[in-house]
Order: sequence, then C-alpha cells, then structure tokens
Amino acid sequence: MQNFIEISDISKTYWSADGKTETKVVLPLSMTVAEGEMVMFLGPSGCGKTTLMRMVGGLETPEAGTIALRGERLAGPDRRRGMVFQSYSSFPWLTVRDNIRFGTRYRRDLSKAEKDEITDHYLQMVGLGRYRNFYTNRISGGMRQRVAIARTLASSPDVLLMDEPFGALDAQTREFLQFQLMDINTREKKTTIFVTHDVEEAILLANRIVIFSSRPARVIREIDVDALIPAEDRRAGTADMPTFFDLRAEILKIIREEYKHSLEDA
Amino acid sequence: MPQSLFAFRKSLDRRTEMVLGVLGFILFLSAWHLTAVSGAIRPEFLPTPLAVAEAFVRLFTERGFAEDIVISVGRVWFAFLLSVAVAVPLGLYMSTYRVVGAILEPFIDFVRYLPVPALVPLLVIWFGVGEASKIAVLWMGTFFQLILLIADDTKRVPAEYVEAGHTLGASNGEIMRHIIIPAALPNMIDNLRITLGWCWTYLIIAEIVAANSGIGHVIWSLRRFVKTPEVMAGIIAIGIIGLLTDQAFRYAHRRAFAYLRK
Ligand SMILES: Nc1ncnc2c1ncn2[C@@H]1O[C@H](COP(=O)(O)OP(=O)(O)OP(=O)(O)O)[C@@H](O)[C@H]1O
Ligand SMILES: [Mg+2]
Repeated sequence: MQNFIEISDISKTYWSADGKTETKVVLPLSMTVAEGEMVMFLGPSGCGKTTLMRMVGGLETPEAGTIALRGERLAGPDRRRGMVFQSYSSFPWLTVRDNIRFGTRYRRDLSKAEKDEITDHYLQMVGLGRYRNFYTNRISGGMRQRVAIARTLASSPDVLLMDEPFGALDAQTREFLQFQLMDINTREKKTTIFVTHDVEEAILLANRIVIFSSRPARVIREIDVDALIPAEDRRAGTADMPTFFDLRAEILKIIREEYKHSLEDA
Repeated sequence: MPQSLFAFRKSLDRRTEMVLGVLGFILFLSAWHLTAVSGAIRPEFLPTPLAVAEAFVRLFTERGFAEDIVISVGRVWFAFLLSVAVAVPLGLYMSTYRVVGAILEPFIDFVRYLPVPALVPLLVIWFGVGEASKIAVLWMGTFFQLILLIADDTKRVPAEYVEAGHTLGASNGEIMRHIIIPAALPNMIDNLRITLGWCWTYLIIAEIVAANSGIGHVIWSLRRFVKTPEVMAGIIAIGIIGLLTDQAFRYAHRRAFAYLRK
C-alpha cells in the first residue's frame, strides 16, 4: 500500500511557563498510515498520543520533522484533516442539522443543493433525523458526539482524527457508536487515526494497533489486527474468542508495564 | 404552592416572575407611604408617593419634561453607540491578536482607573459646555470598560470551537464571523446592557456640571427651590427609563438566543 500519511522524525518538547523545565513528549518518531486504514493508538496516560494526533491535525507544530499527506508536506490545520474532539465541540447556537451543515460550509466546490443533500445524508447516517431541529444543548452527550462526527464527515476530510471520541460515554452508547463507526468505515473507507484507552474498542475497530511507550512516546509494538481476526468476523460478532482474549491480555500487559515505567520515572 | 416558589436554584414561570416583580414595587411604595404619613420625617424631606406622582405629572405639564427626557436619552444612546462602535471591533482584535492586546491592555487599565468625574473639568476645557463635552464624558466612562468586557467575552470562547473551525476549512476571518462572534454574542449583549446602565450615571454627572437641558439639569435646578417631590420624580423617571431599557434588552436577548433557554 502507498504511504498515504508519512510522519518523519517528528519531535515535540513542551516548556514550563518559566522556561526552565522541559517535557519531552515525542522524540523523533516516524510512522506511516495507508489510505483507508484505521489505526488505533494505545498507550499509557500522558505518553503523548494527543500531542502526536494534534501535530498530524496541524493544531500543534512539531519542533522538528515533517508530516506529509499524499507526499505533500503539511503545515497548519485545514479541511484535509478532520478532528473529532473528546469534549463535545458542536456549536450550541446551531441546531443539530445546522451543525452538520456547518461541515459543508467551506466546501466551495459544492452547490447549495449538494450541501443540503450531504447534510441530510449524514444526519440520517448518525440516526439523528428526528432531532434535526434540536439545539445541541438539548440532546444527550452521545447524540452530541454523533453530531460532531457527522459534521466532520460532512466536511469530507482525507483523514479522520479522533481523540478518545467515546471516552465520556456510557457503555451502551459507546457500543452503538462503535458499530456505527465500523459501518461508516466499511462504506467510506476513511483513513482514520483513533486514540483510545479501551483495548477492546481498539481491537474491534482497528486494521492496525500502535502501542506507545510512556513519555516520550516511542512505538513499542504494532499489531496487524486484520491478520489475526478478520474484520468481517469482528463486525458480525463471530470473532474467535480465544484469539480475541489472548490479544486483549497481551496488549493490556504491555500497557501495564509501560504505565509502571512512567510512575518510576516520575 | 409556596413550596415550588422556594424550589432550590430552580426557575419560575414568567407570569409568576411578573407578579413578584410588581409585588416588590408595591411593598416598597407601601413602606414609603407609611413612613411619610407617620410624621417621623418632615414632608420637605420625604413627601408621600402620591405627592411625588403629582409632581411627576406637573413636570410634564408645566416644565416640558418630555423634551428633557428626549435630550437625555439621545445623549446616552449617541455616546453609547459611539462607544460600542469602537470598543467592539477593538475588543475583538485585542483578544485575537496578542500584539494588539499587549499594546492596549496596560494603557486601558490605567485609564479605566481614572474616576470619570475627575475628568469632567478637563473635558469641558477641551470640548466646551456644549453637547460634545457631555458625549465625551459618557464615552470616557463606558468605552474603556466595554473594550475589556468584549475582549474577555471573546477569549472565553472554547478553543475547541476555533480548532473545529480550522479543521472544517474556515479561514481566520470566517472563524471570527461564523464561530467566535456567534459564540460570544449572548455575553456581549449582556455586557452592553450593563454598560448602558453606567451611561446614565455619567450622564447625570455631566448634566449637573454643565448643561441647561436634560433630566440631570432639571433635577439639579429644582433642588435649589427644595422642590423635593419634583426632584424625586426626576430620579424616578431615570429609574423607569432604565427599567424599560433593561427589560427590552432582556426580551431581545431571550428572543435572539432561544437556545440558551432552560
Ligand atoms: N500545552 C502543553 N504544555 C505543556 N505540557 C503539555 C501540554 N500538552 C501536553 N503536555 C504534556 O505532554 C505530555 C503528553 O500529553 P498528551 O496529552 O499528549 O498525552 P496523552 O497520551 O494524550 O494522555 P491521555 O491518554 O491521558 O490523554 C503530558 O505529560 C502533558 O503534561
Ligand atoms: Mg490524550
């Protein structure tokens, strides 16, 4: 597969306010993501996953190194990389439908009718047709996150960046949205980087899992989940259970070890 | 249902709020009336509410008070809008480009702490005793407060909204127009309402010091003849105008920002 996203030797250091203490968050790190691939980031808390993802999104500037999309070097944020935040970033002054339509607002190539069509398409896809005219502070957290996902998809990004998007949701809503995301992914083959702390979520959604070390983030393990458990089986709920649980146990062990390291360092 | 009236941190319906608001006025007027007729305070100092009401009518029929009101309201709104027209864009720039904030903030803080009444003599020297000096007093009193309030409202817009805008393909100008302003607008309008209230304080100061028209001038000139009922009627007129303006602002706020309704 072609290198759709190419991360080359990027690093990031944060400095304390007085400029005296440095926090190395990402040491020179390289990674590639193929077109249409769903990559799940796992790693101990505070290791730099959010920082790495924000650099890919152009919301944080790497200290050194480059990030390229289709061979083109990226700088600041733009419509090619859509971001779904953990906190609900839908706009309270717009209705559900207008929030989703906002995603199409800066697509200059589309006519008004096409924008409406796309809006309604994603409105239906996330199952919020009935709530189209509700303001987003009148709907539940899970619905708000669906609005944010639909809005991002409506903007038609090349890459979808999701930072613990289901982290704050209850188990049922989370499961529902995971399956919805799988559906979307089968249909649209959207290249996605997804940060999570939930190992089962990672196994369920991943083509590939990347596990990071404690800060500064290094890739300590990559797992080709597709090769172990076929995606169709995971979607259909017919995955081989022993394989699933072995994989889960293995990943948890790696992260647990890394977490201990991070405590020893502190 | 007394229980629901005292529901902890809950809202009441609009009708109940209205009735309670009127009740507050009735209680105040009753207490005033009883104190006045008890004879504890001489009527030159505390006339009855009825005497003040009569004076209120006399102000309009005998002294052309309506014209003074129009003049005062005109001064307040002219200065207020002039202040808004400059403070809103500057406040937006201050909170968007740190360089503008870094230049303006210390200076604004300095001016903000100067008591406006102390500036009146200077402003009269500069602008004379005509309309310009009154507008200048009001403008000085509100502009430097308003600009900081607007800048704060804008700064409080969540970073996620702005970042979402960037990743949806909006330019900086579009983020300002389509995200930051709509997000900050309800708080901005509230701050405009509060600032307009301050305008009245400075207006009366300006009209007492140097004017031959306006509500402040009328109140101040009647004082010389110890026409307590008329003086009180003039003060009450300011209260009524303030109340009406405030309610109009709140009504418009509720209509424009329906999504904030609980
Ligand atoms: N703006 C910032 N200024 C200074 N330090 C920061 C900043 N943002 C993050 N950090 C530090 O960088 C490190 C990595 O943070 P980051 O949010 O990327 O971790 P994470 O892997 O996403 O953690 P979590 O899983 O808890 O979300 C942390 O130690 C954090 O304290
Ligand atoms: Mg994070």
